[in-house]
Amino acid sequence: MPTPILVVDDSVMARKMLIKALPAGWDVEITQAGNGLEALAAYREGKAEVMFLDLTMPELDGYGVLETLQAEGLNSFVIVVSADIQPLARERVRQLGALAFVKKPVEPTQIESILREYGIAL
Amino acid sequence: MNDQLLLTPDQRDALQEVTNIAMGQAGAQLAQILEVFVQLSVPRINITESANIAGNILQLVGTPQSVTAIRQAFSGTLRGEAMVVYDENGCRDLADLMGYEDDIDRDSERELLLDVGNVLVGACLNGIAELLQAKLSFSAPTIMAENVEVGRLINPQQLTWNYALLVEVHFTLEVRDFTCHLMTLMPEESIVALKSALDAFMENF
Repeated sequence: MPTPILVVDDSVMARKMLIKALPAGWDVEITQAGNGLEALAAYREGKAEVMFLDLTMPELDGYGVLETLQAEGLNSFVIVVSADIQPLARERVRQLGALAFVKKPVEPTQIESILREYGIAL
Repeated sequence: MNDQLLLTPDQRDALQEVTNIAMGQAGAQLAQILEVFVQLSVPRINITESANIAGNILQLVGTPQSVTAIRQAFSGTLRGEAMVVYDENGCRDLADLMGYEDDIDRDSERELLLDVGNVLVGACLNGIAELLQAKLSFSAPTIMAENVEVGRLINPQQLTWNYALLVEVHFTLEVRDFTCHLMTLMPEESIVALKSALDAFMENF
């Protein structure tokens, strides 16, 4: 069965870049969200076993999504994909429960190695 | 307005994302200099008639307060002006964060604004250029205006352009009420060049 993954970014371009960087043989069902609120709605519909999450977004940002997931005790494999490369940003999202941090522009090999590291079936 | 100058929704989206990536690099450098966490904004993009530039800038900065700004010209694949606009307390805040005592003189303060502005402009515009495979060179930064109202920052009559593309990002610090805006202005022929560069970039995805 395909893995439901959710790609969250306010930029259509950024979502395309991320989707193109996913491992070629990975059997996935992709849902896209344009902000944090849409992301939470898709999550609640079971569409986010793995979530690729941008940080800087209107409506509700990536931190807000992580905080909500944490406060409600929800779990998803969240990989933050952000242009914010401050070490503190990385540390904060880890504390909020994100598994990994990938900087933009995304390197395809990096996504694959993170997925393998966490034993997500490819 | 000439339709050739309008960005398509895809071009606008791509420019926003490219700017966002470049801004992340600039923000990280600012964070390193000031040793504080820097919050990034969602980039704002606007094409405006030259006559309306001042009003647009006022709207982007938000309040009609007095500001100090530095400017740097850039040329190459794209040409235009980059500005960093600091609010009234901005200079004081920067000096504080960098460990200056109260006795910082006006010259050192200017130097600080120029240095920080130069880092932000360089990181941001070079980041954009790199993604779009463009080549840019920069003039040395200069003080553009000191303690003037935002609306008076640019005198549209001095611009020889008819239209300009305005790209704005701002950096906010959590630890204090500090915001500085980085704005890039580009004239018509650079808008056209930028549009082709964005189209070429998008073809990769």
